[in-house]
Amino acid sequence: MLLGIDVGGTHTDVVVVDARGVRAAAKVVTNHENLFESVNGGIAAMLREVDAAGIERINLSTTLSTNAIVENTIEKVGMLVSAGPGIEPASFTIGDQYHRIEGALDHRGAEILPLDEKRLEKAIAACRKAGIKAYAAVSKFSTRNPAHENSMREALAGSADFITQGHAISGNLNFPRRIATAYYNSSVWRIYNRFADAVEKALGEYGVRASVNVLKADGGTMPLAVSRLLPVETILSGPSASVMGILALCDIGVDSVVLDIGGTTTDIAVFASGGPLIEPDGIALNGRNTLVRALRTRSIGIGGDSLLRVEGGEVRVGPERLGPAVADGGVLATLVDAFNRLGADAHGNTEASARAMEDLAKKNGMNGEELARRAVERATAFIKSSVDEMIAEINERPVYTIHEMLEGRRIAPERIYVVGGPAEAFRKELARAFSLEVTVPRDYAVANAIGAALARTTMSIELLADTEMGMLMIPELGVSREVPASYTLEEAGEDARRYLIGHLGKTAPGERVQAEVVHAASFNMVRGYHTAGRNIRVRCQVKPGILEKYEKGVRGTC
Amino acid sequence: MLKAKNRLGLIFFPAFDWAISPTHPERQERLLYTQDQLIEEGVFDIPGIKEYKPDLATIEDVERTHFCFPDVRSILTESHLVSAGGAIKAARLVMEKREDRAFALVRPPGHHAMKVVHGSRGFCNINIEAVMIEHIREHYGRKRIAIVDTDCHHGDGTQDLYWHDPDTLFISMHQDGRTLYPGSGFIDEQGGPNAIGKTVNIPLPPETSDEGFLYVLEKVVLPILDDFKPDLIINSAGQDNHYSDPITNMRFSAQGYARLNEILKPDIAVLEGGYSIQGALPYVNLGIALAMAGVDYSYVREPDFERESVRQEPEVTQYIKKLSKEILERYYRAGDFVMRGMPGNYMVRKKSIYYDTDGIRENQVESVMVCDDCAGVLKIETISSVNPLCLGVEVPLGSCDRCRSEGYRILEEAREKGKHSHIQLIDRMGREYLRF
Ligand SMILES: [Zn+2]
Ligand SMILES: [Zn+2]
Repeated sequence: MLLGIDVGGTHTDVVVVDARGVRAAAKVVTNHENLFESVNGGIAAMLREVDAAGIERINLSTTLSTNAIVENTIEKVGMLVSAGPGIEPASFTIGDQYHRIEGALDHRGAEILPLDEKRLEKAIAACRKAGIKAYAAVSKFSTRNPAHENSMREALAGSADFITQGHAISGNLNFPRRIATAYYNSSVWRIYNRFADAVEKALGEYGVRASVNVLKADGGTMPLAVSRLLPVETILSGPSASVMGILALCDIGVDSVVLDIGGTTTDIAVFASGGPLIEPDGIALNGRNTLVRALRTRSIGIGGDSLLRVEGGEVRVGPERLGPAVADGGVLATLVDAFNRLGADAHGNTEASARAMEDLAKKNGMNGEELARRAVERATAFIKSSVDEMIAEINERPVYTIHEMLEGRRIAPERIYVVGGPAEAFRKELARAFSLEVTVPRDYAVANAIGAALARTTMSIELLADTEMGMLMIPELGVSREVPASYTLEEAGEDARRYLIGHLGKTAPGERVQAEVVHAASFNMVRGYHTAGRNIRVRCQVKPGILEKYEKGVRGTC
Repeated sequence: MLKAKNRLGLIFFPAFDWAISPTHPERQERLLYTQDQLIEEGVFDIPGIKEYKPDLATIEDVERTHFCFPDVRSILTESHLVSAGGAIKAARLVMEKREDRAFALVRPPGHHAMKVVHGSRGFCNINIEAVMIEHIREHYGRKRIAIVDTDCHHGDGTQDLYWHDPDTLFISMHQDGRTLYPGSGFIDEQGGPNAIGKTVNIPLPPETSDEGFLYVLEKVVLPILDDFKPDLIINSAGQDNHYSDPITNMRFSAQGYARLNEILKPDIAVLEGGYSIQGALPYVNLGIALAMAGVDYSYVREPDFERESVRQEPEVTQYIKKLSKEILERYYRAGDFVMRGMPGNYMVRKKSIYYDTDGIRENQVESVMVCDDCAGVLKIETISSVNPLCLGVEVPLGSCDRCRSEGYRILEEAREKGKHSHIQLIDRMGREYLRF
């Protein structure tokens, strides 16, 4: 059996799934002051229904790191940054212990300027004086050569409880993102590990001997042990749970759009040939771009509780939410009340909705039905235009080869999947606006928890080989070794796959993973008029997916 | 936090799957390290800077600009349509005010491609700036446009294309033609009879450094731009003036390129040459992008940069001062230096052109009608080692009635005589691009 827990903003959803389907499900109110209590409560609720010994895997999605960062309850971090020439590194200052250390590497990882050891010692001394115990060490182009980040680590020996090294987070280039991501990772490390300790302790006490995995923003999971070192990878995993839930419930084989319509917002995700699209660079949090891989989602200010207003004869919906719908005991009419007035999908106190709609309509010289109809049309049109914009952006994304320019595949959605409170109410309107088939999965109330439960391990690595320098690197795995001048792109693809599968075999044993090469390029490096070597780049990933064994059980409710 | 003062659109198209040949300077690897640098610096994340995909230029975009023989498809590959399309995208972003400025970081380059094209010369097949400019004029009106070509090689292709156009000011800063390909671009090349003075050449001595480039920018280029009053300024942003470039002899730096763009304030920049792909391009392109966006570039520096080794010798400084004075004088008194001929008569130039990249030889007779009312109807008869005698006739944008009917008369006459293997008509007034 699988146990899935999705800690959300208001509710924590838990579900137990076995090969035949959902065995038990529960919803508990999230305790913001103590997220562990919410998790623990969810597990306890499930263990009243199923046998602890039967649970083999627990997948957990938590907002702990996200909340800590957004609410600024994070630990102080000693940020050691070595930039070299380029954009003035003060522009990327984060936290109040941001130290610039002289030293530089170039785009191929060659050292231009050695790391200033004296300056480094001074910076560490200043951090120690300030009582800093968590550090992040980042150098420009460290994914091409981690030497300077390694020197920083060595210099920190004895001073740090924890150090994040930029290159270990992601093999992708982007120095400012590397700085922010490493900083966040160290800043939530302690609080996250305390949480992980508490979860493990509780499970021990319950006699649960399952493998524990944590959901990431990219629609996949990582083992709890891995997450202890990479807590930043747990940020913004909320949309992942819903999107993976729909993937589990429905057999999506074509280009599709997924809408998760909540109280205040609607999250939009896009599927290409049945697989969710990934944000190419990484997700932003708290106004900072990071290197954290995430599903490509977009959030817009339309939800069931979006406030209705009439301004200059125009009906407006949201983005404000000033309380629940009148149907749910609120004071001001919202989109849910408009749906109620139209009889789209009865929810709560429909008579109260009708009265509220008539009142608002009368004040603006309309009748209630007209107001409701226009509000729903307005909301639907906004969702439609936002989806169209997102698809256009995806189809207009930059490409770097003639081949992609001429043959590049364009996304053309054939179906829309909708989950969330007002999903059923929206169905007809959305179908009309998009002229597409709209599906509302039946078990969508716990789709997010099902998604969390069934998500598989994901990972992505970058392999870079430079045969002129005779070096191969996979920063995420700490792989750095020599390669012969004859090393080829084919060998690099094989190596990337082998290293990735080998790594997951150790960290996530027992899970059958498929590694795919998603990008592979080899450039002849020419000096003068002779080929001096090859610059080889391979990206290999295990993409998000649903644990096969359980797929059948939950499928077909859509 | 960083923020662009000017909204900048970057069209980055490195054509990672295209090369002239595997070890040619114009190969897949050329913009690889530039891309690494721009991504690592987080340039595309700076608020106000946005990356765009190129458009695909159409055959009509090319036929509006060039005489291509035997036809367009034969003289180019898809890569050229993407590269020109990248420049067109840059122009659209600016013309439609979606961005304040745009930089097309694309390859292959174009500034050695002339009005007539039989093949590739100086790594260029079609002139991507010219294709862009004529696209602008076709879709956004007849603009006065200034091109400032800062590639180390004389922009002989662009000069040839705009030799007769009074609406286009072409200024080329380059290494003296006596010391470098293509061996042209001297101060007495000042434009045809209907566009006298609208071509300005600034042949700089070898080992000119930042000081010299910025001197001519302030003392020559800016005053001339002030006088011409263009609607748009375009920088043909070749980067082979760099001190580390393997095929030239100048001492320009990334800081210098950035400063030049900060002062020039081009609406659109288009990458041209530049073959120091590891030591220069990553830093020069970064510097230009930041300068165009109005972001601090003062920390951009090449790894091997040493102020001393790129200092300008006093003789060079003296030479440039004298040269600048002479060029300015020639600009303001261009009519005194160039023979014009009587309106209604043809002025004829004979040209012998070598296509170094493709090894083609071409001979042309170019005739332009001297005209007080328009750029003058243009007739080019051309024969090359790959094509028998061909004819190109152009009725220019803003053509007077006389020049337009003269264009059609030439066309009819040539078709009757039948001695040309290919004839191409460009009628910018009727938007007709015909081949016979
Ligand atoms: Zn050049
Ligand atoms: Zn005329």
